[in-house]
Amino acid sequence: MIAVAPLVFVVDDDPSVRKSLTRLLESAGYVVEAFAAAREFLARERYAGPCCLVLDVRMPGLSGLDVQQTLAAAGRRMSIIFATGHVDVPMSVKAMKNGAVDLLTKPVDEKDLLAAIERAVAQDVRERGEEVRVADILERVKTLTARETEVFALVVTGMLNKQIASALGIGEKTVKVHRARVMEKMRAGSVAELVRLADQAGVIVPTS
Amino acid sequence: MSWETQRLVAAAALTLIVAETAVIVWLLLRRTVRRRTRLVLEERLRFEALLAELSAGLIHVAAGDIDAALERALQQVGTFLGVDRGNVDEYVAGGPGVRIAWALPGLEESPRVMDADQFPWAAERLRRGEVVRFTRKDELPAEAVIDRASYERVGTRSKVSLPLRAGGPMLGVLSFGSVRAERAWPDGLVERLRLLSEAFASALERKRMELSLAARLRFETLLATLTATFSDLSAADFDREVQRALHRVVDFLGVDRGSLIEFSRDRRTTRSWAIEEWMDVGEFPWMAARLQRGEVVSVSQLEELPDEAAVDRRSYLAHRVKPQVAVPLLVGRTVVGGLVFSTVGADRAKSDELMRQLTVLGEVFANALSRKQGELEAQRLRRDLTHIGRVSAMGELTASLAHELNQPLTAILSNAQAAQRFLAADVVNLEEIREILGDIVADDKRAGEVIHRLRALIKKGDLEPTSLDLNDVVGEVARLMRSDATLRSVSMSLELAADLPRVRGDRVQLQQVVLNLVLNGFEAMREPGAGDGTLIIRTAREGAAAVAIAVEDSGIGIDEKDADRMFQPLYTTKAEGLGMGLAIARTIIDAHGGRIGAANNPRGGATFSFTLPAGTEDRP
Repeated sequence: MIAVAPLVFVVDDDPSVRKSLTRLLESAGYVVEAFAAAREFLARERYAGPCCLVLDVRMPGLSGLDVQQTLAAAGRRMSIIFATGHVDVPMSVKAMKNGAVDLLTKPVDEKDLLAAIERAVAQDVRERGEEVRVADILERVKTLTARETEVFALVVTGMLNKQIASALGIGEKTVKVHRARVMEKMRAGSVAELVRLADQAGVIVPTS
Repeated sequence: MSWETQRLVAAAALTLIVAETAVIVWLLLRRTVRRRTRLVLEERLRFEALLAELSAGLIHVAAGDIDAALERALQQVGTFLGVDRGNVDEYVAGGPGVRIAWALPGLEESPRVMDADQFPWAAERLRRGEVVRFTRKDELPAEAVIDRASYERVGTRSKVSLPLRAGGPMLGVLSFGSVRAERAWPDGLVERLRLLSEAFASALERKRMELSLAARLRFETLLATLTATFSDLSAADFDREVQRALHRVVDFLGVDRGSLIEFSRDRRTTRSWAIEEWMDVGEFPWMAARLQRGEVVSVSQLEELPDEAAVDRRSYLAHRVKPQVAVPLLVGRTVVGGLVFSTVGADRAKSDELMRQLTVLGEVFANALSRKQGELEAQRLRRDLTHIGRVSAMGELTASLAHELNQPLTAILSNAQAAQRFLAADVVNLEEIREILGDIVADDKRAGEVIHRLRALIKKGDLEPTSLDLNDVVGEVARLMRSDATLRSVSMSLELAADLPRVRGDRVQLQQVVLNLVLNGFEAMREPGAGDGTLIIRTAREGAAAVAIAVEDSGIGIDEKDADRMFQPLYTTKAEGLGMGLAIARTIIDAHGGRIGAANNPRGGATFSFTLPAGTEDRP
């Protein structure tokens, strides 16, 4: 689907580890960007292409778990593989609950690492596709007028035209016209499809 | 004048002439007797003058010169009396003492008259305080048959022997003997010789007292020196000091060799320290067994050894050991060892004085052994404690050590696997491979260092004092703790004094102390209510003669009520603590002659600090 090689970010405070992982991943055909500290990585501009992050848990300053939380709080989706020398249960539970793809123990065997990266990139691509679709839907929603948006929001709740007319205090015929425009602008062939689009885009229905 | 008259006159004159002649003859006779009497008197006066001079002279002779003075006196008296031999045989309890002898040239020495084997009759009478004298041997009674044979053997024809006594026990015997001719010992002469013997006896008594006073003084000094040495002796210095002490004792006793034997508590093993390395207890099993039973073993001649002492006999021969005396060393009722001296002289080996001295010396050495064993016990305990401490600290450090070790291992594995991939490619980039191998080697070394540090920390060892820069010690611990601090979100910093004097101490143990204090600080900062998570390790000069190390944390501080007890073993305020960390730190610092303490900081948290004496001199 995409011609460019996926980008793997490596964050580890140990220069030897950074260098060797970079070497290994490059030899496996990935493009690698390595960072010595979590802050440096967070400061990097967002990458639009398929990628994942190999993150050391234990670092001076922000730890791996801190990075995961910071990204989540900023709404930045990222497939994360944690690497740690010392696995403790509470830490792994926390990391996995927050959506880590995997948690590998150091020293990491290339087989495990490459498999995890493959999964992480796939997840990234999948989620990235989802993201694109949602953005598209949101773009369509933006083309709706205020009245059409209101009608859209009520249609997907399963209301009949008469009920919508009553709720909005307009004529039933007007509702019908708005509804047809919504179906057209949202490129929905049926009400069921319209409901699915709304669901995917997470349209919040104003229930005034 | 008539004839008659003439006759009368003549008769009278004759009578007078006869009478005169008689008077003259009488007078003449009287003069001869007088001259002879005068001569006898004069000789007696000269002898008395000699005796008076000798007696007076002996009073002023120094104790050390008494033997020589007595010898001169023997010669003068002997010459005066015209005898052939003169002897003073000193007599000490348990055997013969010094013999002072004078004899005409060419005469062999006579045996001691107090030797009861050769002169049983004479010795017995002398012991009773009687004078023994004979002009001819046949004057000796029938019961003196052995004595007579002995006198015959050495050619003594006449002899007088007087006991030397100065109020107390018999000190010896004064004898004069004649070999060339028989001679009489009239009462008057014996009476005068008795006066001489009194002068001799008091001189001997004075010599004995002064010598024993000097010896006692020397002995007391020796005891004081040994006691002082052993009372402040570390186990490490024990071997060297025991050697020195043995040398002192051997010098004092005037013997050749000395050794100290130590029996272990289970009595199965022995150790010995000796001058000239001659004493291996294993070579004297019979003696060792008797010592272990608490018996004194004194061997003057090989013939005294019983049959079961065959091994000992061989060792005596092999080492050419001369007479030997061994005393057991007792602590309470336990025999902890033995003290053995050799070549003490056949007679001395049995003297009461020597036994008394050896008994007292034995006490000193027994105490030294017992102290050493106690010290070793304490040292072992301390070593076990610090070992426990290190191992438990290891547990707390496992997370950071795993990280320390896993980083280089990760790099090694990734590099190696990358290299495999490069090698599988169509065109191999050798430069790349070479670089990778270089990195692998470097990381492998780094992993090795971590292991090495870890092993040094766990190592169960004796105190090995060396000259140390405490800044290095702190630096090494800080490196080890760095990642632990990271994990705990503690900001750890060092403030090291540039002009820190070196100290003498055990590197690993002092690292242990710093490690324990830092871990303690980390723990304190984990508690709710702790400060900003900073920990500072400081080194500083403390006055002119000490160095201080302080670990300042920003934890919860110390509760006043814990202050007294926190350095005690098994005292802990932490749920998971062993309560050993600070106790071990204190034990180590005490052993280094330093002090350890703790105080709350004005701005929160606590500072644990210790001081060590500066300087690299060996401390006693």
